[in-house]
Amino acid sequence: MNKQRLLLPIVLLGCIAALLGGLSLFWFLTSNAWNFFQSFGISALWQTEWYPYEDLYGFLPAILGTLWALCIAMLVAIPCGLAAAIVSSELLPNTWQSIARLSMEILAGIPSVVYGLIGLWVLLPFLQEHLNLLTGHSLLAAGLILSLMILPTIMLMAQDALDSVSQEQREAALNLGLDWNQLLIRILLPQAWPGIRSGLLLALGRGLGETMAVMLVVGSLDRIPQPFYNILEPAQTLTSRIGREMGEAAFGSMHFAALITCGLVLAVFATIISLSAQRKGSIA
Amino acid sequence: MNTAKQNSRCSIPQTSTLNQTMVNVENLSLQMGDKHILQHVSFDLPAADITSLIGPSGAGKSSLLRCMNMLNTDWTGHIQVQHTDIRHWHGGADILRKHIGLIAQKPAVFPVSIADNVLFGLSRSQQKENTSALLQHCLQQSALWDEVKDRLDQPANTLSIGQQQRLCLARALALKPSVLLLDEPTASLDPRSKQLIELSLHELAQNIPILCVTHDLDQAQRLQGNILFMCDGKIIETADCDSLFNHPQKLETREFLRWSVCDCD
Repeated sequence: MNKQRLLLPIVLLGCIAALLGGLSLFWFLTSNAWNFFQSFGISALWQTEWYPYEDLYGFLPAILGTLWALCIAMLVAIPCGLAAAIVSSELLPNTWQSIARLSMEILAGIPSVVYGLIGLWVLLPFLQEHLNLLTGHSLLAAGLILSLMILPTIMLMAQDALDSVSQEQREAALNLGLDWNQLLIRILLPQAWPGIRSGLLLALGRGLGETMAVMLVVGSLDRIPQPFYNILEPAQTLTSRIGREMGEAAFGSMHFAALITCGLVLAVFATIISLSAQRKGSIA
Repeated sequence: MNTAKQNSRCSIPQTSTLNQTMVNVENLSLQMGDKHILQHVSFDLPAADITSLIGPSGAGKSSLLRCMNMLNTDWTGHIQVQHTDIRHWHGGADILRKHIGLIAQKPAVFPVSIADNVLFGLSRSQQKENTSALLQHCLQQSALWDEVKDRLDQPANTLSIGQQQRLCLARALALKPSVLLLDEPTASLDPRSKQLIELSLHELAQNIPILCVTHDLDQAQRLQGNILFMCDGKIIETADCDSLFNHPQKLETREFLRWSVCDCD
């Protein structure tokens, strides 16, 4: 009873602090964005020109760049991460499974700037040489670096989810004559799906919010690629723009408010993705 | 060694003539690490009857069942089903398991509806056919139809444990197995579920051979049929139910029946 008396206020205090933190973040983003939208209107979201010194704030190139980079990253990382998780969980002996897991945990712990440097030194020269690009800076480079960064999250979460399917379920399926492919598709993946989905959402969140590595390889060119699906051109992402320009924007200026609005757009994307995934999960 | 082989070679009385034998296990041994799990086990199962497999914990009963449907593959010896060596079964181990139904002690229903659980093992083309008659037949055979006929679309995990075990039985029966293996199927069930499953087994045993592992000696007597007594990886004695329980021939069997212990080293 005494322990409960001691713990309850601490738990409530922590909960209130988390709530206040979330609310203050929301207030900070919306109040700055409100100032911005009052001056430039909501149409700034689909304007294409971004020249802060001429008071032109078009968000579309960065929004498109963010979505492209994220799509490329997910397209590469989801199949690779799931395949790695399946091999590690279902096929490798325990020793190799531990080694694979440890490797992924180390990958997950590497700071993002290191990934950016790897991108600069390895990926950009590779793309420059093999795809005949001017510098290698491109949406493709940003997507590939992002995919490497989110791969451990997807793989580790998927592996945990697959491991959590009980031995009884596996043997019951085998006893019905299901082969390995059927076991995987009809038992393991459906039952592990809630855990895999959580991994994908976490990975999406990290991919959306990643700044440093993307900033180093994306090229930071505030222009929509020509044509818009040309992922070999340099481009801009919302995070890269914030990271690159925040130091130059005076606190309280319109440029500052525009950059905070970029943050709000990112937060709205993350919320939409999270809510839609949860809704699909509850329907399933 | 020869003596050991001779001692553990058993043939079920009455029905062990070659043309009536559905399953023939010959000189089956299984070793895991340094431990001998099964040692030169031999027995036959007749084409239609219940055979109860009794013995103390760790005797190798469950391992024997897992060898018989190739969940364990590291064994030596011969297992024949319908005069075909199961190692050379046409289509491999996956197809073999459709012919040899194995029901585990703990029911494992899949997180789908009751109907989908029963039809889970059928191929895609089989599922496209009209399955309602098969569904009803299997659920009736497992004495579950009356309890679930109005809620076949509900999730299977809403059933009680006893009902789930009968659902597992129906799921295995949907594949029309040639042999049914049961690993303590009523170990954790209430008396009513236990009775229903035993009734189902009696019905099923008129058409297919059933090998049922049980710790419950009363249940072995209720199931009648033949009894295999195993201890320490070996078959100690084989007889029909009345003979084994009333006139056990081996000292180990008498000890086990009286004190539920076996010292056969």
